[in-house]
Amino acid sequence: MQQTWLITGPPGCGKTNWIRETLLNHGGACAYLRLDGATHEELGLGHNAGIDQGWLMDQIPQLEDWSGSAPSSSVPSDDRFVLIEAQQFSSSTQSGDGLDPQIKQQLQRFNLTPDRTLHFGIDPDLPKQDTLDFTELEAWHLALQGCVWDPNSLSSFWFELVNGAYGDVYRAKALMNMPDGRSFFCNWMVSQSGSQFLPLQAVAPPTGRPNRLSHLVIQGKGLIPTGIESTILDCLLSDDVLELQQAPLRDQQPNLQPTL
Amino acid sequence: MAHAVISCLHANLAAFEAVLDDIDQQGITTITCLGDLVGYGPQPNEVVELVQQRAIPTCQGCWDEDIIDGLNACECSYPSQLAERRGHQAHHWTADRLTDNNKAFLATLPITLRRDKLLFVHGSPNSQHEYLLPDMNAFAALERVETAGAETLFCGHTHQPYVRELSGGSIRVSVQQHGNGPATEQEMTLPMRRIVNAGSVGEPRHGTTKATYVVHDDNTGNVSIREVDYDVAKTCRAIVEAGLPDVFAWRLSHGFEYAERAEDASHVCER
Repeated sequence: MQQTWLITGPPGCGKTNWIRETLLNHGGACAYLRLDGATHEELGLGHNAGIDQGWLMDQIPQLEDWSGSAPSSSVPSDDRFVLIEAQQFSSSTQSGDGLDPQIKQQLQRFNLTPDRTLHFGIDPDLPKQDTLDFTELEAWHLALQGCVWDPNSLSSFWFELVNGAYGDVYRAKALMNMPDGRSFFCNWMVSQSGSQFLPLQAVAPPTGRPNRLSHLVIQGKGLIPTGIESTILDCLLSDDVLELQQAPLRDQQPNLQPTL
Repeated sequence: MAHAVISCLHANLAAFEAVLDDIDQQGITTITCLGDLVGYGPQPNEVVELVQQRAIPTCQGCWDEDIIDGLNACECSYPSQLAERRGHQAHHWTADRLTDNNKAFLATLPITLRRDKLLFVHGSPNSQHEYLLPDMNAFAALERVETAGAETLFCGHTHQPYVRELSGGSIRVSVQQHGNGPATEQEMTLPMRRIVNAGSVGEPRHGTTKATYVVHDDNTGNVSIREVDYDVAKTCRAIVEAGLPDVFAWRLSHGFEYAERAEDASHVCER
């Protein structure tokens, strides 16, 4: 019998990490859907840039991505485990079943009825994270498709970002391209110690700028987008520098040709 | 006689003035400066002019040299593209604002200063750009001091103050004479040598925002590392008002260097 669970919680509480662990343990047919979440006047939702989907699809090869489209699969539904993720800040606007009406509407659009709903910070079956009670939150995001970072510059930028150089950042996550073809899932939350820098399994050939998702999403207060963008510009590799770094890598794989 | 050694002022006038006050309050009249008067900070002219006004013997730092000679260091000087871009931005900002007179003063600064067995340099006796880190290989550290003919070497550049005693050193020499005779060996025990790093007045990097310098007593050999509070917010405001990157103010206010040290700190730039 198909199981459909809805996982909700505030930004950075660990929803995606929990979903990844749960689906890896499940091992069988599975699907993932990320809803837009519940919006509130003072609370900016992190832009759904596909970072979570991209990370999960990389980690769980058999995962079906239902985000943004109606479910369709040749796998018999009886065998499928469906996890739905939605950002929901608090229980204050919840109806009797604990769900925000906006999320209910989104579920109806997909014609989905969860068998089970779990909310971080409330449900005891979920790991106890430091879920913050946000009262005011700005969101900002930047598409970085085709951009490749100087690795040491990314390290400096991320350090400054999560330590307050560009406003009070509560949450930051990104998929970032490296010159050697790797991509990293970068993940940070103010309530948790340290950042995650997790390499994706899929590695692009060192033949120019990779054509895959790269995006940065930030939530916080008093954000300084001009400062962030200015620093990012100083961190990204030009075509010439990228070629300089990729050419020796291609020498080790003689069948590859530059595409710059 | 106690004398003060200061280094790496980096155009931070408030920090420099606070350190001078601290030195004056101790009645110390001899001050030696190890360079890097300018770079990153917002008041290069004011700092250079105060050094001249106080007639402080000063050796040339790597930033002072770069302002005079231009940016001709190899790219190894910076650990990242971001650090390099920021460094160049600060360089051009400083070069544009520093007066010709003050540039001329920086050009006159010697690479080393010597007083008896005390040697004063910015980075190392070899180069203003070489870092003598506290955990540097002991043999290499001793070599820097010994070949310069010093008993105590005062340096800066790392922005981390420390005192390192190099004791128990010896040199073994094997001499092969012409012919087939056996080589003769001689071993010489070296007296203790010291490296004293003065830290940084204007860009501290030792975990706090306090300006650091050292006081050395010629008679007793005692060295004390001094930490001085100063109006960090004032310098940060000046950075922003001067049009330097806001992130410089943020980094200074958190006790971080403007640009991190190169990964291979022992590398000496080959121009």
